[in-house]
Amino acid sequence: MKVLLSWLKDYIDIQESPEKIAEALNMTGLEVEEVIQPGKNLDQIVVGKILSRDPHPDADKLSLCSVDVNRGQPLQIVCGANNMKAGDKVPVAMLGAKLPGGFEISRAKIRGVESSGMMCSKKELGLSEDHGGLYILDESAHIGEDIVKALSLDEVIFDISITPNRGDALSHLGIARELSAIFNLPLHRDPLSNEDGEDSIENHINVEIEDTSHCPRYGARVVHNIKVGPSPEWLKDRLEKAGLRSINNVVDVTNYIMLDIGHPMHAFDLSKVEGNKIVVRNARKDEKIMTLDNIEHGLDSSMLVIADANKPLALAGVMGGLNSSVSENTCSVLLEAAFFNPTTIRKTAKRLGMMSDSSYRFERGTNIDNVPIALNQAARLLKEIAGGKPVKGLADCYPKPEILRQIRVRTKRANRVIGINLTPAQIETFLLRLKLDTRRDGEDLIVSVPPYRHDLELEVDIIEEIARMYGYNNIPETLPAITSVLQLPTALQKICTRLRDHMVSCGFNEIMTYSFIPENVSDSFREKKPMMLKNPLSEDLSAMRTSLKWGMYDALRRNILNDEFNLKLFEIGRVFHPSAGGLSEEHTRLCLGFSGSQNPRDWRRNGENFDLYVIKGVVENIAKLLRVKVKFTTGSCSLFHPAMQMELIVGKNHLGEIGQLHPEFIDNKKMPKCIYLVEIDLGKAAEASEGASRMQPIPDLPAIRRDLALVAPESIGNREINKILTAEGKALLEDCYLFDVYQGKGIEPGYRSLAYSLTFRDLRKTLTDEEIQPLIDKMIGRLDRELSVKLR
Amino acid sequence: MSESHETLLQQYLSEHQTAKSTADLETLRVKYLGKKGEVTELLKGLGKMAPEERKAVGAAINDLKNRIQNSLDESMRSVALSEQNAKLNAERPDHSLPGLYPSSGGLHPVVQVAREVADIFLSMGFFMAEGPEIEEEYYNFEALNVPSHHPARDMQDTFYLESGQVLRTQTSPVQIRTMEALKPPLKMIGLGKVFRKDSDITHSPMFNQMEGLVVGENISMADLKGTLVMFVENMFGKRPHRFRPSFFPFTEPSAEMDIQCIFCEGKGCKVCKNTGWMEVLGCGMVNPKVFDAVKYDTEKYTGFAFGMGIDRIAMLRYGINDIRLLFSSDIRFLRQF
Repeated sequence: MKVLLSWLKDYIDIQESPEKIAEALNMTGLEVEEVIQPGKNLDQIVVGKILSRDPHPDADKLSLCSVDVNRGQPLQIVCGANNMKAGDKVPVAMLGAKLPGGFEISRAKIRGVESSGMMCSKKELGLSEDHGGLYILDESAHIGEDIVKALSLDEVIFDISITPNRGDALSHLGIARELSAIFNLPLHRDPLSNEDGEDSIENHINVEIEDTSHCPRYGARVVHNIKVGPSPEWLKDRLEKAGLRSINNVVDVTNYIMLDIGHPMHAFDLSKVEGNKIVVRNARKDEKIMTLDNIEHGLDSSMLVIADANKPLALAGVMGGLNSSVSENTCSVLLEAAFFNPTTIRKTAKRLGMMSDSSYRFERGTNIDNVPIALNQAARLLKEIAGGKPVKGLADCYPKPEILRQIRVRTKRANRVIGINLTPAQIETFLLRLKLDTRRDGEDLIVSVPPYRHDLELEVDIIEEIARMYGYNNIPETLPAITSVLQLPTALQKICTRLRDHMVSCGFNEIMTYSFIPENVSDSFREKKPMMLKNPLSEDLSAMRTSLKWGMYDALRRNILNDEFNLKLFEIGRVFHPSAGGLSEEHTRLCLGFSGSQNPRDWRRNGENFDLYVIKGVVENIAKLLRVKVKFTTGSCSLFHPAMQMELIVGKNHLGEIGQLHPEFIDNKKMPKCIYLVEIDLGKAAEASEGASRMQPIPDLPAIRRDLALVAPESIGNREINKILTAEGKALLEDCYLFDVYQGKGIEPGYRSLAYSLTFRDLRKTLTDEEIQPLIDKMIGRLDRELSVKLR
Repeated sequence: MSESHETLLQQYLSEHQTAKSTADLETLRVKYLGKKGEVTELLKGLGKMAPEERKAVGAAINDLKNRIQNSLDESMRSVALSEQNAKLNAERPDHSLPGLYPSSGGLHPVVQVAREVADIFLSMGFFMAEGPEIEEEYYNFEALNVPSHHPARDMQDTFYLESGQVLRTQTSPVQIRTMEALKPPLKMIGLGKVFRKDSDITHSPMFNQMEGLVVGENISMADLKGTLVMFVENMFGKRPHRFRPSFFPFTEPSAEMDIQCIFCEGKGCKVCKNTGWMEVLGCGMVNPKVFDAVKYDTEKYTGFAFGMGIDRIAMLRYGINDIRLLFSSDIRFLRQF
């Protein structure tokens, strides 16, 4: 909201600097976003009159103007704009002037012609972003006059952001009231204009409210003999500086009252009101109204309208109807000032998707006592500036007058909550400065809340007022004297922390992708039908992810398109699965993404690409870190190469999967063929994680090591061989691992060589070769018989 | 030691001085201590002496022998070592070649900052709580004193799910869930992703918040200030700070905390919009209506809550000018952290 310092001074004699005022407002909770001083940096810029305009002798697009600035000889100025003619008055920056952009005007030769000054656009003066040529001034401007004075730019405008609880501060009066409390200055209010006029309001209008819960008070005044026309300069100037467009004197008066005392008003053309009647009622089903913005709205019974005997005239508190609006032919107006229930207005505005300065204020709560004041001031203004003749009296329908809310504040409680030590008398002083009537009851204070402070409801709300006035920065700084209940991190939280550190040590970069993904991704990226957003930002961000794989795929793909081919990425995040009753289950997952070379910057080994075994190794390491026993079985994900994938199983449960991306998803020439993804459910991993194991004694007897080189048909897997070796090694086989796989020269096609290292040990005595040999013979025998695997 | 022995020793010492290599030392050893060495010869001569003389002379020769032997051993060790080092040095590698161990990766900058923030509070005795990202409207709004037709709802543009829930717009519902589960006194922080319907260089539809809550008997605004000042001083260094009144439906009184701009040290710059201050967090005393919602005794307990945008702190810390970069997964960006 824009607030003018000169306007504030109608209410308060404030001498402080704009900076100090802004600071004070900031420190009491009215955030000043900007202090605008349009005339501040405009020096040596005056009103000039163009006497003649001729083409520049040497440049098609430039003109040569002679400009009178009432300083002796006219100035010769070269100008690139095109919207001026002889006789126009324009702002002229004199030699030595400095424009807000920092540009300094000096004597210059432009294409060989001397130019002594510069005619300016609004943008060059820093008045607006409009660069559509020179700023053509009003004819009435005085030649030679300082532009700051001529345009009354000598103003300070505070742009204040007002929190939703402070509807009372949405006006110049409201801000002045706050300043009066901060600086402890008296607040002047206009003496109430009496309800002068002729005739009597009862002869013209009768107000009826159907349901006072929606509209507790509705007031109307009639003004005849109106000449609708432009507003006087002072009124236009104030409205425009406060950010509103001047429309005509009648509308401007209602807007002026709104900005002045915070009460939105509406003016109807009285001749369009049928039956001398205003009814505040809910809309009827199928009723329609065309509002001032030329949009027709279908209404329903939840919406409140202002109607005459036959038809709706306005959407209450939101916007007027076109059928009853003030036009240039209007001569009698019906002024409306009402108090509407904030919730009712908000619901109507929301349902129709409309927001106006009026609904904005009604939603935040207005001052019910301002109804007659607004009407009388508007009538007085219309009399002054539009020749209006007010009819005597108000039609003020206010069946159940509000009773002021009383709040009891305990001094002890206030001090305890704030952490200070004030006396009841000190508190009383603060509250009185805020115009909160206060009465003492022992140590307690009884506060009467004025009707405009809708935010003051509980004792603690008054405590905030006390703290604000005391100054938040004067409150001491202490530490809480409590010891919290103990809550250790959950297993899942611990796993996430360990994994993050582990993945980083292993060379992975962490990514964080959106929890919502495009609706139309391939089903292969989905595990379930996703939960959908009702109001997504775009279709690309409309479905809650059911797995992390799409985000990872997208991340790999986009990096690859940026020529970053070698990638090791990870993400830890939640996925969302619908569950019974429309609720959702959230699962924390780890996703890994691999592309390109394992060791791209290794100058000795020449960049080996990732393959399924490397990925499996990464996963085995993770399983070891998390103390989870993972089994790798044949996978069946359609996202993956049908053969190059594995499912991860823990116990009997699915834990995740690893695989090479199916060529179907390699949809760009730049993408390497070998892209691998891994996804692991960390919740399940946490459940399956085994506690610390007991230490095994370090053997003190020697072991016997034997290597077995075997030749096996290609169809025989490591697992089958390993099973026989382990079974026949019995208790003496301490360790057995594969150390070489070979195919090629010396091995028949269709076969491969597998070499195992076996370690035998007896914990009670030293083993001899004679004890081992029978075991090895049995292994070889069974391998041959059952798998046709032979010693190499 | 007799004069002749002394002369022999001096002779050895002067020859030893010129011995540079293990070979030279070996030559010396043979000359003095070898089978026909000069000292050996002296020992051989002992047999011809009278027994009483033999004892004293023998001891003197042995002394001479030991001295030479020790001297040779010592020199041998040091010469051998330097000869070995000379050999090893010949294998000198190219120290400027890059190392070959796989390089480490990096945590997401937001995670790094979140850890830093959390560590401060955990050290102060807070615990870490979590809550769902898809939240019931009740937890995200009503329980936090934001009724359904209240203008405060405009403060956050909400994503709704077709199932009727919302994507949480703030981590504050974690407060409600924590208070429903635990009795005071408690000090918790909650960290997580939140969602608002907004996207430009300073707004992302998904971002990260850290939430804090302290509830107990006699918790005051002074405690709130002390706690948060301790936090910002540890996070941003000791620097001027201020608390400004503000509005959040779930706290009363409410405040925003500013610290002196970390870029211009208060002189005024683009980042702080020439105010010299930058806002770091919102906070306030828990509104009794929130305690009512979780059935805490509002007379007995008071508390404070605070919340901050982790992404914004990360942006300030690393000079990131567009929040969307955080969620771009661009390796050229991520590698920098």
